Order: sequence, then C-alpha cells, then structure tokens
Amino acid sequence: MNDTELDRLLDTWEPPAPPPSFREDLRARFPRAERPRFARSLGWVLMIALASLTLAIGTGQSGGSLRDSRIVRILSQLYETCLEGLEAWQATSIVAQIRQSQPRVYVDGQLAGPLRYGHGSRMDVQVPGDGTYSITSFPIPSHRADGGLTGWVEAGHIRGNLIEFQAGGKQVRIECNKPIVGSDRPVFAMRRPST
Amino acid sequence: MGKGPAHLISDARRGKEEAFLQLLDEHHLPLFRFAWRLTGSIADAEDIVQECFLALLKPNCGFDPARTTLRTYLLGAVRNQSLKRLQRREQGTATEPADHRTPETEALRGEMPGAVASAIAGLPQTQREVLLLAHYEQLSLAEIAEITQLEVTAVKSRLQRARATLRATLGAYSPHTERTI
Repeated sequence: MNDTELDRLLDTWEPPAPPPSFREDLRARFPRAERPRFARSLGWVLMIALASLTLAIGTGQSGGSLRDSRIVRILSQLYETCLEGLEAWQATSIVAQIRQSQPRVYVDGQLAGPLRYGHGSRMDVQVPGDGTYSITSFPIPSHRADGGLTGWVEAGHIRGNLIEFQAGGKQVRIECNKPIVGSDRPVFAMRRPST
Repeated sequence: MGKGPAHLISDARRGKEEAFLQLLDEHHLPLFRFAWRLTGSIADAEDIVQECFLALLKPNCGFDPARTTLRTYLLGAVRNQSLKRLQRREQGTATEPADHRTPETEALRGEMPGAVASAIAGLPQTQREVLLLAHYEQLSLAEIAEITQLEVTAVKSRLQRARATLRATLGAYSPHTERTI
C-alpha cells in the first residue's frame, strides 16, 4: 500500500457534524456583561434615597410636621421604591453570578436544556412535556392591585450553589459550579403560555 | 480588516457576545473533529470544545498570541481535556470487553470507516495524536510538536511509525491486495 492509497483509506473515516444545538448551548453559557445595568439600577436607588433625604430635611427646615400625612405618604412611597430598586439590583446580580457559574438544569433528576436569560433578573427553563417556566429571585406578588393573578408564585429557593423549585408536578434543580448567594432567597416562577 | 484573535478574546472577556461567536465560528469545527476522533464520543467532543472556548474567557487563560496561534493553542487544550477524559474512562471501565474487530471482520460488515477508526484507536496514544493532527488537520510538524510537547524529530518518527502500523493493519484494504475474506 503506497502513501496515496493509505491517505484515501484514512479519508473514509469522516467525523459527524457537531449537534445543531452546539452553538446555542455554548452561547447560553457565555457570561455577558451586566455591569452597566447594575450601575443604572444602583444609580436610580441612590437618586431616590437622596431625594427622600432632601425632602425630609426641607420639610424639617420649613417647620412642617413629618406627621403630615401627605409628606409621610410620599416618603413611604419613595422608601418602597428604594427597596424595590435594591431588590431588583440584587436579583440581577444573582443572574450575573449564575451566568458565570456554568449552570446545569435538571428536571426530575434528568439533565435538561440550558438555562436561557431574559430581561433583567428573569431566566427561562424548558421543562420537557410541560413548557417553559420563567423564574426570578425578584419578589413578585402573586396578586395584582385589582385582585387578579399575576401568574407568578413563590415556587422554591436559592441556596448556596443550588436553585430548586417546583414546575407543575416536576422538581427542577439548577446546579451552579460555585455559590451564587450568601443566604437563602426565595425563587418565583411563572409558567409561560405556549405560543 | 477583521480583528485578530487577541482582540476578539479581549472583547469577549468584556462581555461582547459577537466577538465570542466569531471565535467560535472560526475554530470550532477542527476542534470538534479532533476531540471526536480522540474520544469517539459526540457528547464528550461537544463538552470538551465548549469547555475550551469558555476557558479562553478566564483571565488566567494561558494563550499568548506572541508564542502561538489560537488554533494551535485550542487544539492543545482539546488534546489535554480529551486525555483526561480518556484516562478517567479507562479507570472506570477496566472490565470492559476487549474490542476484537479486525480489518477482515469490519470489511465483512462493509465498515471501512469503522476499520480505519479501529486501526487508529489501536495506535499508541502519541502516535494517534500525531497522525490525527497531521493527516486530518493538516498541521505542520512544528505545530504538532507544540501541541504534543514533543521534539519535531520525535513527531516525525511517530508519524512514520503510525503510518507504517496502519499500512500493515489496513493492508487488507489495499487495491493491490487480493481479498480472501
């Protein structure tokens, strides 16, 4: 057998193409920069805090009473907004941690598709046979002001490097390769309507 | 003119996904082929290549564009990862039955690619790596030496030995050989 014949023989051993999901799976694991979004959120929080402080000082200097119901209501609303901003910032920074810790999704113990990242602190999990669930650590009430349902429920928790929650009748576990929270946090989930 | 790999890696580390995808699109096919031929598993090859690309984003990644090309660096990373997996697999499957396939039995089943795969799998590890990189990836001896951390002369002799072994093992498939099977 000469060199050309051997080369031809070797060329018969062709590799398969990478799986179609290869690029998308790797893309889902790419840690995107989240800093500008954090900075913006934090900026808003600080601005609101500063506005509250200015208003309080101004009210005190003008001789007005802090017990004035209107002022109290405004301050209370600003305080609530401030807290909400901090929660949003924390939830988004948790997503940034998750992105950088190679999360693997298991549904009832079986490896499932990769985690997908939505806007802000929202992430999507594909639950085989049940559809897509959106999850977040940002506390979203289950009822709207008008009494209607938002679709979100507290479904589990984040503990150390694990996110665990119930999706329908199935147990979803997301394992990260490093801790993503210092202390336990609840996880809120919503089943997304199929399109 | 497009950005060089060092720029693209730097952009990807700053969170620019398009830079990361450009690197991926340029290099993933030869890496996947090499990983698959070393491990024989699509899932392993996929995993190995993904890990190698993600490792590029880490600040302690050892790629130095002044010393080597990105392709050579990544092929070296794939080789190291594949070796680790193969070693783990060997430790875990000591009782696995031996592969009794021969060129003759493969030919009987009409599996020439399988026979080639078996013959290559039967080569000693470094000969196998050198052959895969030289024949299938068309790398120069110097590039292979860099990846396998051997001298160029050692690469050359291993390649010659690998080809000689394959000629003998696959001799039954030569068009000049009269088949008796």
